[in-house]
Amino acid sequence: MADHAEHHDDHENEISHVASVKTLVGTGGTLLLLTILTVAATKIDFGANINLAIAMVIAVTKATLVILFFMHLRYDRLFHTVVFVSAICAASLFVGFTLMDSSQYQHTNIWHPSEPPAAPVGPRPTG
Amino acid sequence: MSGGHDDHGGHGDQSPFIQHHYDDAQHQFDSGKFGIWLFLAQEVLFFSALFVAYVLYRVHHGEIYSYAHKWLDVKYGAINTAVLIFSSLTAAWAVRAAQKNQKGLLIACLAVTCACAFGFLTIKYIEYSHKVHEHILFGRYFDPCVSPGGEELLTKKNLCPGSKGSVVWDEGSAKPTEGCFEASKLDLDTRLAGVQADCEVTLVKVDETGKELGPASPASVTNRCPDELLAILNGEHDTAAGTGKELVKEAAPKFPCWRPAYQPAVCPDLTTPEQRTHGAGGKPQVGILVEFGDHEEREDIKVKAKCKDATAPKPLDALAVSHETQSEHLGQAAIHPAHVVTTHEEHEIESLGPPPEHTSMFLTIYFAMTGLHGIHVFVGIVVFIWLLIRAIKGQFTPDYFGPIDFAALYWHIVDLIWIFLFPLLYLIH
Repeated sequence: MADHAEHHDDHENEISHVASVKTLVGTGGTLLLLTILTVAATKIDFGANINLAIAMVIAVTKATLVILFFMHLRYDRLFHTVVFVSAICAASLFVGFTLMDSSQYQHTNIWHPSEPPAAPVGPRPTG
Repeated sequence: MSGGHDDHGGHGDQSPFIQHHYDDAQHQFDSGKFGIWLFLAQEVLFFSALFVAYVLYRVHHGEIYSYAHKWLDVKYGAINTAVLIFSSLTAAWAVRAAQKNQKGLLIACLAVTCACAFGFLTIKYIEYSHKVHEHILFGRYFDPCVSPGGEELLTKKNLCPGSKGSVVWDEGSAKPTEGCFEASKLDLDTRLAGVQADCEVTLVKVDETGKELGPASPASVTNRCPDELLAILNGEHDTAAGTGKELVKEAAPKFPCWRPAYQPAVCPDLTTPEQRTHGAGGKPQVGILVEFGDHEEREDIKVKAKCKDATAPKPLDALAVSHETQSEHLGQAAIHPAHVVTTHEEHEIESLGPPPEHTSMFLTIYFAMTGLHGIHVFVGIVVFIWLLIRAIKGQFTPDYFGPIDFAALYWHIVDLIWIFLFPLLYLIH
């Protein structure tokens, strides 16, 4: 956005924010370092859950860097952030709610035709 | 944009690509950008369905993930992560170049991004083709030739083509090619057509001249499915023939016929259903699994098969094993493997055993997630080629670079999804 661009050292473009070379290379380099870090972290055994947590923290950090700097969201309209964060919240709810009730499912029983399930217990529904 | 509206386009100070229904370049850009952000939000939701499948399965069947992820090569995953991050950098740089009217730099950035996308798909192709070759696939196509540790598995159909299957004998030319023995040459247990030959296989160390130096480790492989269980699992018998003993179905393991390397096995001739059975003119064939992994040097171990019957396999080939066969009595035949294994390689083999039940689900999820992601990469290639052509034509200007920006945003979301897929699929501890 034009009014944001003035706050930045690169303001050659009047339509949209121009990312500086320093920002781009810095972000790219950090992402590569974090990739090396996440691979290295799996070589060390902290226990399955902690290893998973470390990998996810690094992945979220990387994702945040991509969104803020490569995708310019830091300099973009607030409304775009609202749109995108809403989508991430919806996705998190989707995953979270599925996990919450995942233990409520019974195991699927596939009955063989020759061994039908036993008759249900209780009174037969009338009507 | 200073932008007065220019209906003629192409001259004045405004890009000819500014559509007349927008107030100015800023208006057009903002509209497009809002559109692409809505699309990206949709993409997040789109992929979240697959992440739900992933998480749910991982919660319930963690053992599948810790077993099957070893089929995936961290090296390829990490290289692809780096390739995508680098291409994200060049995509972001392309936007900057377009904003600053640096045409040459813009073309270079777009070309590098496109090349990286090709590189990503090439690496994916290498990974996928390896899995197709080894039958490490989704759903009912899951019938792996090797365990994640590189150990040979006897597959349900024993159809591992070429490399990993059986020693291969051509009955006509009496030479090993890559298939199997003809079953009639072996002491087959006819109850178990299509399943098992009664051979014991040993490994012998040999020197360069083929001289035997003694048993190699493992000296012999006796570990295999009990005949009775195999018969039941193949739905052929409820009692073990000859023993009269009633067998309990529950005794059958869930994945019955995963057997280690060197296990003789019948390769069914699958031309017609009739040919799969004895006596119908078919030729069920026998092969011996010999190859570990995907390696090159297999010089100093020889595989020998010793079968039950004196009339058993007499490899008729005239290859390197002929001196072997003549010195042995009829019941024992030296099998010249299509490949033999070096002792060095044996240490690389991690014994992980057969896959746990439902392992195919990991591969289903893997192929669904990486496949959908791969389709996105392919779409990215098409888009970047289109942008490259337009950039070469000089159609992008500091007041008209929306397509570059929007394509770059799309490309970043592709990168973003891979940032999660990589640790979730490849880096399971």
